[in-house]
Amino acid sequence: MVKIKYLLIGVLIVILGIVIAITVSPSEEKRVKKQFHLLSEWVSKSPDENTFTMLQRMKDIGTLFDANCELKVTDQSLSGTYTREEISTYAGSARSHVSQLELKFYDSDIAFPEKGVAKVTLTARLTGRSTAGEQMDETRELECLLRKIEKKWLFSQIEVIEVLKK
Amino acid sequence: MTVRHKIRQFFFPSLTSKFLIRVSLIALFAYLFFGYLCIPFTIQGISMEPTYHNGGVNFCWRLHYFFSEPKRHDVVTVRFAGSKVMLLKRVVAREGEEVEFRDGKLFVDCKEIVEPYVRYPCNWNLPPRQVEEDSIYVVGDNRSMPIENHHFGQASKKRIMGVPLW
Repeated sequence: MVKIKYLLIGVLIVILGIVIAITVSPSEEKRVKKQFHLLSEWVSKSPDENTFTMLQRMKDIGTLFDANCELKVTDQSLSGTYTREEISTYAGSARSHVSQLELKFYDSDIAFPEKGVAKVTLTARLTGRSTAGEQMDETRELECLLRKIEKKWLFSQIEVIEVLKK
Repeated sequence: MTVRHKIRQFFFPSLTSKFLIRVSLIALFAYLFFGYLCIPFTIQGISMEPTYHNGGVNFCWRLHYFFSEPKRHDVVTVRFAGSKVMLLKRVVAREGEEVEFRDGKLFVDCKEIVEPYVRYPCNWNLPPRQVEEDSIYVVGDNRSMPIENHHFGQASKKRIMGVPLW
């Protein structure tokens, strides 16, 4: 009887340990999702954002990207490969033209086609207001490629899916 | 059983196992039916005016093209981003056909197509282009805006979600 009791306690401890391990150490999928969460947080802008926060966010946005990141969009003038610094500068410039901005991601589908590579298909919705008072509301499907470099998942390719081709 | 008791029983039924099973089955059916077969949606935008109005509510019937192919003049929902954002457009040409706009008039394989659903004046000009394999060409009914501002073009058949119920 005593043996069974100890055995049950042992099993419970093992189950508890597994549950804690799963909860505390995030999976690769969670790590990838976290990068999107950070991108969404840092791109978004509140109307009362001060200059210090703005500069900090510009710098932070760059840390999410690989040394070179490829952007594929329908508008050929925007497509190309950008460095981390260029992305920071462009993001800062774009954010300065809006008084309020919110970036949200939905329906993410994460796959790992090879080790250290994550392919994410998701919906991005950008809402806000320009400094001129114009409302913005854009939704697009994105296909992103992230690479694991020094234990960090970094954006290395972002493609805006063209649903309707004129 | 008195009428009062019956009314009471209708609004506040006893939580018997039979009742709980019935509720669970109804909930499951509603989830599957409205989540996958007959998806409710609200119309945002004026690209399908006057056939469909901004703010209107409709349902996307997903089984419509289960055994058939989209035909010219059909109104279809095209998956735009994720599983929640769809475009409501009209099919004007099918794979292999050549589509063109001349002074606001639609031409398919050099023949003018009569479109009674287009009520607003249109002056679009679009050079001829062939619809690729496994694709359809979709356009909105409201062509009163400049061609650059209207979201239309060739969409993959895989992106067709279904048809609006009404």
